[in-house]
Amino acid sequence: MSGEILGAWIAVFLTLAIFSYLYKDNAFYKIAEHIFVGISAGYWTSMFFWTQIQPNLFGRLWPSKQYDADSFWYGIYDALSWINTSIFPAGGIDKGHEMHLIYLLPFALGIMMLLSVFDKLSWFARWGIAYTVGMAAGLRAYGYLNSNVIAQVRNSTLNFSDPDLPFFALIGNSYFNSILLLVGTISGLLYFYFSKEQKGVFGKVARVGIYFLMVSFGASFGFAVMGRISLLIGRFVDLITYNDAYYHHATIWVLILMVLALGYSAFKEKGSPKPS
Amino acid sequence: MFWKRTIPIAIVATVGFLTLFGWFVDEPHIKNFVEDDATQWYDILASFAIFLGALNLLKMQSQKILKKQTGWQYSIFAVGGFIFAIIAGFVIKGNDAIQWGAHVTGKGTLFKWMFEFMFTPLSATMFALLAFFVASASYRAFRIRNFEATLLLISGIIIMLGRVPIGIKISAWFVLYLTILGIGVVVNNAFKNKQITLGFVVGGLLLTTIAGFWMGWPVDQPALFYLPILQDWIYNIPNVAGGRAIMMGIGLGIFATSMRYILGIEKSYIGE
Amino acid sequence: MNGILNFISRIGQLDRRWIFLIIALVVLIPLFFPLGLPIRATESTRLVWETVENLEPESKVLLSLEYGPSTKPELHPMVFALVRHLLKNDHKIYMTCLWPDGQFMAEDLIEKVIELEFPDKSYGEDYVLLGFRPGGEAVIKGIVSNIRKLYTVDARNLSVDEIPMMEAVNQFKDFDFLFSASAGFPGTVEWVQYASDPTGVPMSTGTTSIQVNEVMPYVQGGQVKGILAGMPGAAEYEALIGVPGIGTSGMDAQSIAHVVIVLFIIFGNVAYFVERKKAKKY
Repeated sequence: MSGEILGAWIAVFLTLAIFSYLYKDNAFYKIAEHIFVGISAGYWTSMFFWTQIQPNLFGRLWPSKQYDADSFWYGIYDALSWINTSIFPAGGIDKGHEMHLIYLLPFALGIMMLLSVFDKLSWFARWGIAYTVGMAAGLRAYGYLNSNVIAQVRNSTLNFSDPDLPFFALIGNSYFNSILLLVGTISGLLYFYFSKEQKGVFGKVARVGIYFLMVSFGASFGFAVMGRISLLIGRFVDLITYNDAYYHHATIWVLILMVLALGYSAFKEKGSPKPS
Repeated sequence: MFWKRTIPIAIVATVGFLTLFGWFVDEPHIKNFVEDDATQWYDILASFAIFLGALNLLKMQSQKILKKQTGWQYSIFAVGGFIFAIIAGFVIKGNDAIQWGAHVTGKGTLFKWMFEFMFTPLSATMFALLAFFVASASYRAFRIRNFEATLLLISGIIIMLGRVPIGIKISAWFVLYLTILGIGVVVNNAFKNKQITLGFVVGGLLLTTIAGFWMGWPVDQPALFYLPILQDWIYNIPNVAGGRAIMMGIGLGIFATSMRYILGIEKSYIGE
Repeated sequence: MNGILNFISRIGQLDRRWIFLIIALVVLIPLFFPLGLPIRATESTRLVWETVENLEPESKVLLSLEYGPSTKPELHPMVFALVRHLLKNDHKIYMTCLWPDGQFMAEDLIEKVIELEFPDKSYGEDYVLLGFRPGGEAVIKGIVSNIRKLYTVDARNLSVDEIPMMEAVNQFKDFDFLFSASAGFPGTVEWVQYASDPTGVPMSTGTTSIQVNEVMPYVQGGQVKGILAGMPGAAEYEALIGVPGIGTSGMDAQSIAHVVIVLFIIFGNVAYFVERKKAKKY
């Protein structure tokens, strides 16, 4: 319980410290920002270690299924286990995997990546980066071509086979809507074709494409505003929750202290002479 | 040069071709590698990249403290935050009933406490700050300089008002009146004749008023000017048309760039 | 007249901190004094509701949670509403997470909705948390081909072979419906590309408002059956199931904030035109 109350006060302080940036850049904001940087780095390091490296890498190099106390390979594991039993529990790592010594390759590439922190060995990271680039290129090429191009071309086709389809409808399908979708998609695509000068008929079609793109960007702007306001509502709801008597009115106390501190700092700045 | 340039290019080409053709080849070993192992290796290397980032951060912040550069006092908080997170992740579990490994997602652990009361408020508030800057940008930077900007603005306003409950309360007749005034501005710019403009605006407003009285001023009619329905149509038709064009362009671009990387034409990952 | 124009021109140069204060008040006040504005569901929300409503009895639904604390206000309410709808109709829920933070969200969902409001539902028979598995697209492809290879144990370390509702569930095609609550990558787009499109299993999605436009072409093309767009989408879904929740409570503040921002845009442009006119004059 006391952990929860302490946590609430810390959460309120950090939230209001970040919001204090809206007044001006100040020490509270800088402290919260630096804490965020440090905590994020530590959080993601821990998270990726325990969800990727320990189960998927070490769990495939030293699985408990094939544990053999007499083998040289598991002898290395036992030595590591002696150093740290939380990462290397006795008897191997039980994550349901079989042994795949080929995983020594990504392990080696990963260690090379870490060694690149030293300036002289900075090129070591290239091999690991090359693997991720190659992997991403091969994987994404198919996925994006299939779902983002071919499927979208298919979805843009006009359907003249349905006799019940109205000519125009604000809600639901209609011939007008389908034609407009097709015209908008083609003209929008043509706008992005820069190998030919956009003049004459081509230029006019590209111009129509820009109009459709502007409508899309306007909608994106509207959704962006909506999303940001929703996040702000979420933060305010949390601050209101932490202002409850159970949390000893954390929000109002931290707010008062912060306002007083910032006010005092502003007063001192105003009073002190500026250097000539 | 061989180790620093040729090998990385060869890795990209080999892995790229293997992953790409894995989609089309029915050989079980290749399929197994592509669908399982290759992606696991990718995630393992991504994890090491995170560790590298954390090490670099620690290196830079520590140098700042040791050399007492500007703002070094704040770097103490960055290093302190990192150490605290590592302690929560690797040293103090806080709940003996949960195993190491499960403690990063389990209840009652120090890591969960840190996630709930430090990481969550910090990351959520950083994002929430943007709401204020969006409002400020709307006031100070969003300007109708040309027809395209006007289209963007009108589309954004319709979506913003039509998607929230208050849009239901705004009468279609109010929007119709505004539309007539807006078209009046266009007529004025086109003909530059005050009489034509006045005639159009007064005529339009008069016709609308007569129609309103005749129909009994229903809030949601005419449907074309009722914001929730209008925003639905804009959202589903012209917005999707533009979005689809962008999506197809991105898809083709990604395919082309992937080919460039696999064929060794693009070498930005090694700094060339 | 000149006085009014000068005033408008001066207001146009307003210090942005006044704008910040106005936005803060405009969001805060309706949270204390709600207006009770009615909520009308859009077509895309209605399509999600209809798809869920028309599922065969005791359908197997895969619910994938890909969001974290920074996007929780937008996605958590819709997931709460969806789970209420699914459990009310006695469907089976299989929860998975492509993001590590998603597991925290799933635990919260179980604690605050399932255990509290549906005490008759049992873990392992009506709902199961398979948990987070790292790998992004690899996880999706693993679920599509062989879910038991990917999940040997669930999030509570129970063997998947011993969970009653996992019987006859071996791959993605064994599910009747997929719902992805997604805040980015990996998420909805990857589910469409690697799971729903290739197998034909129907899916719906809920995304953050920012991501809506990215997913809309899939929705319009029928690859995704409807979309819940951010907090307003959550509020609409709550209205459709008749159980107001966190989404609904934020809508008044959302509405007023939007009106104020629209007024900011209009006023900013009026000030801009006044400035332009003054500049031309001199």
